Amino acid sequence: MPSASDLTRTAVRPGFTPGRVARGVLLVALVAAVASFPSLAPNPYILSAGIVVLNYALLSTSWNFVGGFTGYISLGHGALAGLGAYGTGLLVTRAGVPSFLALVIAALAVAALAVPIGYAALRVRGASFVIVSIALVLVLLLVFQSWASFTGGSRGLTVPRPFPDLLRPEHHRVFWFLFAGLLAVALLAWWLIDRSRFGLGLKAIREDEDKAESLGIPTFAYKLVVFVVSAGFTAAAGGLYALWFGDLDPVFQFSILTGSYMVLMALLGGVRTLFGPLLGALVVGTALEYFKVEYGNTPLHLVATGLLLALVVLFMPDGVLPALAAGLDRFRPAQQSIREVTAAELREQRERDAASPELAGASPGAPSTKERP
Amino acid sequence: MTTRMTTMRWATAFGATMVLALAGCSGGDDGGSSSDDPIVVGISLPLTGDFSEPGKGVQRGYQAWAKIVNDKGGLLGRQVELKILDDQSNADRVVSDYEQLIGQDQVDIVVGPFSTRLVVPAARVAEEYGMLFVEPAGAAKEVFEQGFKNLFYAAPAVADDHYNHLAEYILGLPAGQRPATAAYAAMDDPFAQGTAYGLKKKLEEGGVRTVVDEVYPPNTTDFSGIAAKIASSKADIVVGGSQYQDGVNLIVALQQLDYQPKLAAFSTAPTSPEFAAAIGNKTEGILAPTGYTQKAPYPSNVEFVEKYTAQFGSPPEEDEANAYTTGQVVAAAVTAVGCAEQGECQQKLVDWVRNNTVETVVGPLSWDATGKPQGAHMIQQWVGGEIQIVLPADAKETDIVYPKPAW
Amino acid sequence: MSSGALIFQSVVLGVLLGGLYALLASGLTLYFGIMRVVMIAHSAFLILAAYLAWWSHTRLGVDPLLSLVVTVPLFFGAGVLLQRLLLSRLRPATLTMMSVLLTFAIAVVIEGLLGYAFTGTQRRIQLGYGAANLELFGARIAVVKLIAFGLAAVALLTLYLLLKKTTFGWSLRATIQHRDAARLVGIDTDRVAGYGFGIGLATAAVGGTALALDTTIYPSLHWHWIGPLMAIIVVGGLGSVPGAAAAAMLLGLTQSLLQIPLNTTWAQTIFYLALFATLAFRPQGFFGGRLAQRF
Repeated sequence: MPSASDLTRTAVRPGFTPGRVARGVLLVALVAAVASFPSLAPNPYILSAGIVVLNYALLSTSWNFVGGFTGYISLGHGALAGLGAYGTGLLVTRAGVPSFLALVIAALAVAALAVPIGYAALRVRGASFVIVSIALVLVLLLVFQSWASFTGGSRGLTVPRPFPDLLRPEHHRVFWFLFAGLLAVALLAWWLIDRSRFGLGLKAIREDEDKAESLGIPTFAYKLVVFVVSAGFTAAAGGLYALWFGDLDPVFQFSILTGSYMVLMALLGGVRTLFGPLLGALVVGTALEYFKVEYGNTPLHLVATGLLLALVVLFMPDGVLPALAAGLDRFRPAQQSIREVTAAELREQRERDAASPELAGASPGAPSTKERP
Repeated sequence: MTTRMTTMRWATAFGATMVLALAGCSGGDDGGSSSDDPIVVGISLPLTGDFSEPGKGVQRGYQAWAKIVNDKGGLLGRQVELKILDDQSNADRVVSDYEQLIGQDQVDIVVGPFSTRLVVPAARVAEEYGMLFVEPAGAAKEVFEQGFKNLFYAAPAVADDHYNHLAEYILGLPAGQRPATAAYAAMDDPFAQGTAYGLKKKLEEGGVRTVVDEVYPPNTTDFSGIAAKIASSKADIVVGGSQYQDGVNLIVALQQLDYQPKLAAFSTAPTSPEFAAAIGNKTEGILAPTGYTQKAPYPSNVEFVEKYTAQFGSPPEEDEANAYTTGQVVAAAVTAVGCAEQGECQQKLVDWVRNNTVETVVGPLSWDATGKPQGAHMIQQWVGGEIQIVLPADAKETDIVYPKPAW
Repeated sequence: MSSGALIFQSVVLGVLLGGLYALLASGLTLYFGIMRVVMIAHSAFLILAAYLAWWSHTRLGVDPLLSLVVTVPLFFGAGVLLQRLLLSRLRPATLTMMSVLLTFAIAVVIEGLLGYAFTGTQRRIQLGYGAANLELFGARIAVVKLIAFGLAAVALLTLYLLLKKTTFGWSLRATIQHRDAARLVGIDTDRVAGYGFGIGLATAAVGGTALALDTTIYPSLHWHWIGPLMAIIVVGGLGSVPGAAAAAMLLGLTQSLLQIPLNTTWAQTIFYLALFATLAFRPQGFFGGRLAQRF
């Protein structure tokens, strides 16, 4: 059954256009590049650096289920990843559960835990949501540090390797493909939601939550479901990281910086696009490495990260690449659909209209975004 | 859908290029070592972040070691070159740093970073690549419970044994003078807590009752609550498992509450040169364990203190000395075995260190099968406005003062 | 000392701590009231002020309290600029979310710059009267803590008088309550909002100096403060200054008392428990700003 978004899409670009073919080719090229990277990597270090970037991509894609669809900015996803990591680690070490079964159980458990968290956080809007997301990281840090008899506290938790016989370079290779596989699943899930009615409802929440509600969209349930999905993927990413990395420490697992990197990567790449967070992860992952090399002995890497985030927020809140693309689009014939106009743009437009009195009477509450001049 | 399409195309294209670029941007570094090449020693240190202060101390210690070795013509006729990376006090970083040092930069030797939290992940990387791993800072007992075969801690004693001489002294006091109750406050850190709990275990076995046992997170800044509990318990002695600033804060908070114990022992903090000024010179009688003293008569220490002071303008502290000791252990092994490169050589180095005793600036060091050093720390006390060694009896500069005067 | 005395001692410490929390939380509440902005960088500015106090004491040898003469106007100006130049540029529809990110970025920049200028070493002002104390019904009160509390109390009282008794306070409260209506009655809401921000940031200057008197400071300390402060403003009801002050006192006291049976870490979790409980059962907070209903 074609959804509304499919209709728009077909109306705009029917059939196999050159663009669509090109996209297909590039997708194949991307898959090929990912598949061949381990054999191209000249040494295990490059491979492990690649895994770190892939982990970032996975985290920010998982974050983007909430951030991209609903517009709710969570700074607390680092906590969910940390819970996934510790959940997996504790199941393996304390309960003797096989590694990957532990990962699945931990991801599901965190998803279940996301229900009450989401219930408290999503009942309220905007500000309180952000506060809860930050508080989540801080409180979990305290709990995992203090409850040392169970979590190992600041002595850390060592997670045994799932493949004890593999040499380190081989171990990296296996985990490269595991991370890539999980990323593919996350991207596929995002893509499916994006094309579904559910996704349409979520985007309506992002644009105007009150209107979405008055149109009969069960906004709270929708938000909660997508939050739970996001939490599940984030936790799975954390769990996989735990199995790969092996050493967990509360300070690094429950860090606000992790959450903020996810936000930065997703925003930079563009939250409305499937590959945006992945791209953002490549850029930020490389940039972090660069900042470190460049400002190695000083904390200026923090300053650089902060400035980058501030610039994105101030000038390109929809992402750098979407901003570039929008720049290019000025030279093309205008094609508009409901997705291209944010509530923010609409409101600005209304404010512009309100400023010129002759239009003011016609404009307030303009019902259809499609009639944008 | 133009915007979407464009972005997608951008994304995929850029993604592919990045992956290829990342893959292509290395290689070439095939570390074939000839006899003229320098011996490259790879180190990752916390030069920024929470551990940056001690991290920089460790860095100076390594630099002093490299300079002193090179001034004498190097090791095996090869110059020593340090390759130091900053791990930002972050365990993720420390692992990728050692991956880089071993895998990409093909260093000949790796030595340890600072802080127990970073030593364990770093040691695992070294272990899995079969590298010898001598380290200056992983003193907590957990480090030696991981089953590492290549790890050696280059200092006289692990955290739990730091107070051994003090425990012996207290339990040796006549019954009338011996303290009956003790209060412990320790930072939630494997090293700091290890020192306090090592003493606690021994005193409890000796019949000293524990009345307060507080653990605080590393970021605690307000100690008035903990101090109130200790003060109201009226414990005879107070033991702090502290690093630097937390120890200072706790002492000030205890002084604010006018608590006067018979004995006060704190790890690390009292040995710092700024300590007296930080607590307003009310230092009288405070005890601290130390693994290093500039006055130690070992021949290499005399040389170290002199050359270090010439290079950096002030005498070395414990962190610097530990790093220097690490260098000495590696140098001894390399000289004895006659090689320094990755591969089979590393196992020979490991075997040599395991079976030999090395003369260092902190005295002769030898290790058990887990890499644990076989010694104890000296105990220092602030006496007459100066910190002096009081235990063990054969090394003392002055007599221990007990019960301590009011602070 | 009996356990009764310990409880009394903890109450005294809790009240002293609560005073500082109240001052800082009132600043956060102001920002939120004016612009619906959750100002993550508030505690980073707090630490910045603490560093300035420490710096002027160690390097210039002046009493830390004197640094207020410089930091308060400086922070007021910074607050006005922050609001006028940065926050007002954000799109209104996404203001709440984006302002969080923007102020987060500012916090990280401040942390990085502090680390660059003063390194990550923990610092503490060494005052001659650092360990001096008074006795009050068996409890010991450190002189420095008393000064910090006094500072917070004076600042809060000033803020209260400013909001209740001056024309500016009247315009500010009008802007908080209904921005459009305030504009209709001729209030220059943009300017008022800017000044409101300046005042909020000035509380961070006072708070930072008070903080520097008796605790250690280090660049990443602000994360340690932002959590409890945010919990306080939610429990107090977002946007309500008296609510924030009451919640601050209550939670500061509870934290201090909980340290008797629990350790310091578990005692800190009270803030987050209170936060989650408030949002789950009474999202508008317990001392109720109307604003909180929707945010």
